[in-house]
Order: sequence, then C-alpha cells, then structure tokens
Amino acid sequence: MTPLQVQTFPEAIAAMLPWSGLWVDVLSALVGTFLVANFLLLNTAVAGPWAKRKITAAFTDRISVNRMGPAGILTIPADAVRLLSKEQIIPEGVDRPAWDMGPILIPFSALLGFAVIPMGSGIQVADPEVGIAFAFAASSIASLGLIMMGYASNNKYSLMGGLRAVASNIAYEIPLVVTGVSVILFTGSLRTSTIVAEQAQPLVTLWGVSIPQWFAFVNPFAFALFTVANLAEVGRNPFDIPEAPTELVAGYQTEYSSAYFVLIYLGEFIHIFLGGAIAATLFLGGPAGPGPAALGIVWFTAKIWAFYLFTQWARSAIPRLRVDQFIEIGWKGMLVLSFANLVLTAVIVGVLA
Amino acid sequence: MIGLLKGMATTMKHALDGTTFTVEYPDVAPEVSPRFRGVHKFSQERCIWCRQCENVCPNDTIQIVQDEQRNGEQYNLHIGQCIYCRLCEEVCPVDAILLTQNFEFTADTKDEFVYNKEQLKNVPWYKEIDPLNAREPDRGAWVGEGEGEVDYQ
Amino acid sequence: MSLERPDEREEETAVEERSADEIGELLGDNVIGREEHINAPAYVIRPDAVQETLSTLKSEAGYDHLSCVTAQEYEDRYESIYHLKKYDDPTQEVSVVVPTDRENPVSESAEPVFRTADWHEREAYDLVGIEYDDHPDLRRILLPDTWQGHPLSRDYDQNRPQVVTLREHANPLQEDYKAGGQDSDTMLLNIGPHHPATHGVLHVETVLDGEQVANIDPDIGYLHRCEEQMCQNGTYRHQIMPYPDRWDYTANMPNEWAYARAAEALADIDVPEYAQVLRTMGSELSRMTGHFLALSTFALDVYGDFSAIFMYGMRDREKAQNILEDLTGQRMMYNYFRLGGVVWDLPEPREEFFEKTRDFLEDLPQALEEYHDLISANEILQMRTVDTGVLPPEVAKEYGATGPVARGSGVDYDLRRDDPYGYYDELDWDVVTEDGCDNYSRLLVRMREVEESAKIVGQCIDLLEEWPEDDRTIQSNVPRTLKPDDDTEVYRAVENAKGELGVYIRADGTDKPARFKIRSPCFSNLQTLPEMSTGEYVPDMIASLGSLDVVLGEVDR
Repeated sequence: MTPLQVQTFPEAIAAMLPWSGLWVDVLSALVGTFLVANFLLLNTAVAGPWAKRKITAAFTDRISVNRMGPAGILTIPADAVRLLSKEQIIPEGVDRPAWDMGPILIPFSALLGFAVIPMGSGIQVADPEVGIAFAFAASSIASLGLIMMGYASNNKYSLMGGLRAVASNIAYEIPLVVTGVSVILFTGSLRTSTIVAEQAQPLVTLWGVSIPQWFAFVNPFAFALFTVANLAEVGRNPFDIPEAPTELVAGYQTEYSSAYFVLIYLGEFIHIFLGGAIAATLFLGGPAGPGPAALGIVWFTAKIWAFYLFTQWARSAIPRLRVDQFIEIGWKGMLVLSFANLVLTAVIVGVLA
Repeated sequence: MIGLLKGMATTMKHALDGTTFTVEYPDVAPEVSPRFRGVHKFSQERCIWCRQCENVCPNDTIQIVQDEQRNGEQYNLHIGQCIYCRLCEEVCPVDAILLTQNFEFTADTKDEFVYNKEQLKNVPWYKEIDPLNAREPDRGAWVGEGEGEVDYQ
Repeated sequence: MSLERPDEREEETAVEERSADEIGELLGDNVIGREEHINAPAYVIRPDAVQETLSTLKSEAGYDHLSCVTAQEYEDRYESIYHLKKYDDPTQEVSVVVPTDRENPVSESAEPVFRTADWHEREAYDLVGIEYDDHPDLRRILLPDTWQGHPLSRDYDQNRPQVVTLREHANPLQEDYKAGGQDSDTMLLNIGPHHPATHGVLHVETVLDGEQVANIDPDIGYLHRCEEQMCQNGTYRHQIMPYPDRWDYTANMPNEWAYARAAEALADIDVPEYAQVLRTMGSELSRMTGHFLALSTFALDVYGDFSAIFMYGMRDREKAQNILEDLTGQRMMYNYFRLGGVVWDLPEPREEFFEKTRDFLEDLPQALEEYHDLISANEILQMRTVDTGVLPPEVAKEYGATGPVARGSGVDYDLRRDDPYGYYDELDWDVVTEDGCDNYSRLLVRMREVEESAKIVGQCIDLLEEWPEDDRTIQSNVPRTLKPDDDTEVYRAVENAKGELGVYIRADGTDKPARFKIRSPCFSNLQTLPEMSTGEYVPDMIASLGSLDVVLGEVDR
C-alpha cells in the first residue's frame, strides 16, 4: 500500500502564507495546534457542563438546566466562571509539585493524542509513520497523572483511586492495543491517514449502495472488544472503579477543587473524545461519511459524540463491577479474547495475502 | 448479556419518550392537597385566648401573653421551629388558628421566623384557597370528650 | 391472609408454649420475684444469673429472639429488662427483669448468650449508666466518648456544659492502627460520617487489607436526637404522636403504629374497625415509599451516581407520597394516627381518592417490570450481589435481625402475620422470604414486598369503598387526658419497613410516660454488618450496607 500524500494541517496553513522558512513552519504549526486544541476544548465545554446534564436528565426523566439562554446553553460560561472563581484549596501534607502536575498532565496527554488523528476536511496536525501507536502512547500518559494525583493527595481514598486507576489502565491497555493491532494487520501501516484511506475502499455493493470497508463491518468482534476496552480506558461504567463515587468518593480527584478540578474534568472529557476518535479512526473510517469530503470534520465530530453518548448511556443503566471482577475480566477475558482475535485476523490476512 | 441490554433499552426508552416527571418549580406551582399543612393563619376575631394550642404544642412553638384580665396581648409562633403537626388547629374550639397550604416562606435569620399575631393574620392563602372546607368531614372527630379532665385555663 | 394459610401454619409451627409457672419452675432459684407486664410475664432475677437464665430460656424454652433491652432507673434501683420472644411465634413473650442497686449498678452481661445484647447493653450503659460484667466492649455508643454523666439517669444535670476541647476528642485520623500488629500492611479507612454511600451520618471504621475488609466497626450516634427523652416529656394523648414519624423517616407511618399499639395496650383503648382499615392502608402505602427509596439508593451504591434507577424509584415514591398527602396532609411527617383511631377520614370526594390510588396500583406492575429489567435481571448486578454479604439465618437470629434482612436470610418472621394487629389478618397476602441470605436476596425481598403491599392496599381500597356510611367511626372515645395506672409496663412491636419496631412504655400515673424505650430494627440490623462484610471487598461492604437499608434517624433515635 503506497501511503497517500496527505497534506497536514500546519502544512496547509504554511502554504496559505506568502512567506517561507523555518519560522513560518513553527508559526503555522502553533496556529494549527491552537485551532485544533480549541476545537476540542469547545467540544468539551459543551459536553461537560451542558450536554452531560441534558443527557443524564433525559435518561432520568428530568428537565435539567434551562434557565440561562436557549435550552440553558449559557450555563456553560456561567459554570466556567463559577468553577474558576472557587477557592483553590491545597490540603495539608500534599506532595507538591506532583500534586500540581497531575491535573495538568491529564488534559495535556489527551490533547497530545489528537495530534495524529485525521479529523477530516484536511485537519490533521501531524501524520508520522508511527501514527496510531503515538495516539495510544500519548493517552497512556494520563495514568501517570492519575497515580501522581492519587499518591500526592495525602488521602487514603485518593491513594486507592490512584492504584485502581493504574491497575485498570494496565489491565485494559493491552487488550485495547492488541485489538488495535488486528486492524493494523489489514492495513499494514501504523500511519493514521493510511488506515483511514484503506477503509474508504468499498466492501460490498448492495442495491447500488456501496458499503465502505470500515473495519467495524469487516471485524465487528474486534470493534466490540475495542469499545469495551475503551470504556475501561476512559473509566466509565461499568468500569468506573477508579472514581467510584459511592465507594471511594471520586478516588484520585477527591482533594482537588477550583481550577484543578476543572482541568481534571476537562482531561476526562477529552479522553472520552480521544477514545472515540481512536475508535473512529481504526474502525469507523475516520472522518468518512456521505457527502463531499469537506464535510469530514462534521462526520468526525458526530462519531466522537456518538461514543460520548454511549458512555453516558452505559452510565445510566449498567452497574459498576467490583474491583477484583474488573481485573479478572481484564486479564482472563479481554486479554485472551483480544489475542484470539489477533491470531485469527493474522491467519485470515495471511490466507488472503 | 440480555439483562444488560434490557436495562439499557429501558433507560433509552425513557430518554426518547420525552416525558418528564419533574416540574419547573417557580413557574409551575405544584399541586398541593387541600389538607396540606403549611404556615399558620391566625384570626384574632375568633380567638378566645383559651391557650389550648399553647398547651398541646409538642415543642413550645406557640407563645401567648395575656394581661391580668386574661385578655390576649400577644400571640407568637415560631414557624421555623414548628413541626407542622396540626395539633393546635385540632384542639382549637373556634378555628382561630388554621394551617394554610402556604409552604413558601423565607427569611435571612431564624429570628425572622418568629411571627407575631399581625404577621400571622397576614399570611396569605395559597392560591386563594381557604382550606377550612377540606377539614369539614371530620372536624368534630378529635374531640373525644370521654371522662378525663378538660384542662381549660 | 388466605383461608388456607392459618391452618397450614398451625400444623407446621405448633410451637410448644409453656405456662408462666412452668417457666418460673424452669428458672428455679434464680428468680427472686414475679411481675406482670401487659404483654408478658416478667421474672425478676438475680443480677449475677443473667447468662444462666437467658441461656435456659433460649435453649430449653425456645425463646430465641432477644427483641430489646430496656434500662431504667427507679428511686431505689436500676433495672434492665430483657424482652424475649420466639422467632417461630412472637406472641409468646417473656420479660426478664434484672434489678441492680443504685450504688453499684453492675449486672451480668447477656452478650455471650445473645450477640445482639452487645449494642443494646452499650446503649443502656451510655444513656442510663448500668454496667455489665463480662461485656466484651462496654463503651459509649450514641454519645461521644468524652460525655460526662448518663442522660437518662435521675441525677443527671442537664445544665452541665459538655465542653470538650479538641485535644481531648479521639482523633480518628491520628491512630493508624493495625489489625495484625505493627508489621501488618493494613490501613484504617474512615468511611463516613460524610460519605455518599452511608445513607446518612454513619461512620464505619474499616481496617483494610489491600482492598479487603479486615475489620469493621460501625460508629453510630451522629443523628442522636434524644427521641426517647422527648417522648418522656410529651403527653400520651397528643404530644408523642408527631415524633415517631421522625424515627424512620423514609417509611413513616408504620412507626406511628408502634407507639399507637403500645399506648393503646397500656391505656386499654379500642380502635374502630374502619380506622384499622385506614391505618393498614396508610401503613402499606408508606412501606412502599420506604422500599422504593431503599431500592433506588441501593442502585446508587452499586451502579454509580448517574444511575437512572434512582430517579425512577423517586418517581414511584412520589406517586405514593401524593396519595398520602391527600390522605394526611403531609408528604413525610404524616401525624395521621391518634390513640384510638386516625385523625382524618378519606378526603372528599372519596371516588377521586379511590381512583387515584387504583391508578397508582395499576401502573405499579409496569414500574416493577422496569425495575426487574434494570436491577434484578442485570447480570453484572447479579455478579456483584449474589453470594456477597452472606448472613446465615442462625446468625441473623443471634443478632436479632428482623424485617427484610431476616426474611432475605430465610427467617420466616413478620409481625403483621405472626403477631397480627390492625386489619392484616383479615386480608389476603403473603410473607415474602428468600433463602439466598445474600445482598441479592434482600433486594428481591424488598421488590416482592412492594407487590404484597400493593395487594393489601388494593383490598383496603375495596373494603373502604363498600364500607357502610353510618359505620365510619374514625376514632373511639378517648379521654382528653390519659393517665394510665401507676407502674404498668408494656412492650409492643409492629412490623415497619425495616423490621420489628418495638416501644416499651412504663407509666407512673401521670399523663407522661416515665420511661419510653424504642427498639429500632435498624439498630439491630446494622449490628450484623461486621458479620457480613469481614473478608469481603470494600464495594461489597458498601452494597451490604445498602441492602441492610439502615435509616440513621432510627438507628440513633
């Protein structure tokens, strides 16, 4: 498979500028990442204070925010002001600067992962050879942040939350990556643009409608595995044991308030979106969808929001697992299934090739 | 797995049917039963200052001050301390104290909840409803004259 | 109850009953006197023969349920009363009275015979000041450790300030004590008093070994509101009735019945049949509100904070509350019962009330279906709850567990059937039991009890609709001032949503009780938590706590 010559977003910006040189590359890279990061922060701002409340309310037959602006949408700036104007409480005996670095690492790592995600309409910050591996690696940095927060908070609940977070990340990262590898066996490349391009090819044509070769259609089992492991990776029901508010009182984030609290929440939401973005890239054709290619960003946004909705839906109806069951499912179930899937895919790919 | 899916289907059904069971409270006033026990309303014209309400009150919420001729001077009621048991209304022989359906009351300090008789007279009816009719069928039922002593003061 | 049921029961549980004299003979020399309580014969025994007497009664006469321990102080002596019953037939009761002298109030502890006596005696020590020899852990239970004096004793000075400096308070954070000596890797975790899953202000001192519970000690008393003393300061006729609503504040009306039952037995008051039907209907609706809340908060504990089940449970609870609001005028603190009846007949127009209630009952199967889809059919929930928090029936009896907790362990014990009051024995319903002994069984028992309650309410509605108009007496003729005879004592229990709620009253000839003791079912049920949770994971402990359905207002009183 010859890699497609895809122009990255900073390159596109640089091409639009009349100058050239190193400083132009740096400037356009900065502008490109700035725009992409702000797009994600915007999504998070809508998701966190507003959409989440609306969605939860819909599941529970309530009304929820509706006092400020149309459908309560202006509650977003109101909440931002409210949260940021709260007192930043620094408990006695916390281990600084680890305590301060944790909340910064979480959104940072999630945003970093988005650097290699093709978001459609020509928006992709970088397209390195290692592509998807970089996305997995970047999102895993969050575990470091979680254990730093848990350990540095000087709180037993936080400590347990941090330990649980690490246990869950290790247990579910492996099935996640191994399932991802089964897709890479098809594409033969880690480069995200290649993976997306590969999925654009038609799988079958039914009644004149061409169904693209999305890997969710090619290998639905791998997609299901990936979705479940992804839920664990972003820590949502039934795998929200690192936070587990009714057991650990929100675990690693118990001691954080004000701006740090916002950062943690921001990071969690971007992580959910990143989980959705990786799933979309690997299994759902990335930004592909009907209509002109310029609509790519719209389809991409729809896909990551669909994943976000799914996490909220699972929250409304699925109980949390116990910690030992959670680990057991991870190591004895998911890991085995994901390797079985990998071997099977390898055999199929080998036979077809 | 089927159980999981059933649960998810149930919540999704609720999400999609669009009905809510909460109401927009300040805009939509809740339905309050005619018997609902809210803030008291006092009628000085009816009151005969027998002090039965003061005696029966389980936690000394009502305070009555009389002069030497046993004419009523003050009638104070701490609506923040009241437990809304309605015993005062029940023992009142002349309907001088009545619990309205009015449940909306606010104050900055606890002291402001001590209502004197003027304030108690001015407590509005909830939605202009005089709840006296709702009391009608059983108003005489409590009396139970029996053989015991009647402690009128 | 169906027509066949009573006969069946008589056959299967023909519990041997001994006459009062036979029991007296059985106890032999330990008895130093006899008293007659309204509910049961009472034997005054030597303070050093408590264990011997109780174990004789337990093993030879079959009194296997230590329902309550009442402590009180007279002018010349202290007294502990052990109220014993049989799980198989709670109408067979006996009281064991243990007098101790005022100077040295020490009697033998009953803890080695009945585990449940542990907390009951601690409470007696805390509030009245009787000391129990041989008690494993005689600390204060409701009041802080630093409290001076015993508030229900006669020479207690209420005006004495109980100022305790911060330094003197035991700091639960300071001592990170180890369960297995200094070298062990255990960690003390304070769960509560402000924790999302403790359902109120309960403090659970948990020693963790990794994620597993090595040792657990519930610390109660944060919501102690002196309910017993408040009742002792109120008049029988009016002033006590508003307060039972505040004991178990999730299912309030059956509590009123506990006081009404005891006081009506004490003052020999009859209740018109029509009022009994109203009482039965109100209590069952109230029991449903309590069970809805129990179900939905249990879901919160196991599912997480965004579970939709909680709001669905609230929705159904709300419907029942609306009906009760129409009936009583309040949504929680009903104050509906009066001695000798109820305060209000059904609201006019009656048809509207019947229709509203019937609509609620008709919608209920659908709502329950939803709960089953969301809760009991869910595989993950089953993984979480089946075989966790196991409470074997023998242990449940040992701790005096009652209500859904006991019935979830297969103990077929329900005072509504076994010690009938109100209109229950005229109606057709069943006692729900499950044999799983685990969290899941307790959950199922509550779900099925809602159905049974609905059956009872439906029958009551039919009865009320057909009741002849000229026979609707809602209160019997009760004197305005009640003064029961001096030195009469009564202990009477009813089945509230959490179990056996008993009230002990001793009259002294005035219009206020001399001693008012509340036997709270949650108090006994909470005692079983260490049995259930030791060795399990923290999430299971949280689930067990949720399935016990403790209401701290009732535990601490």
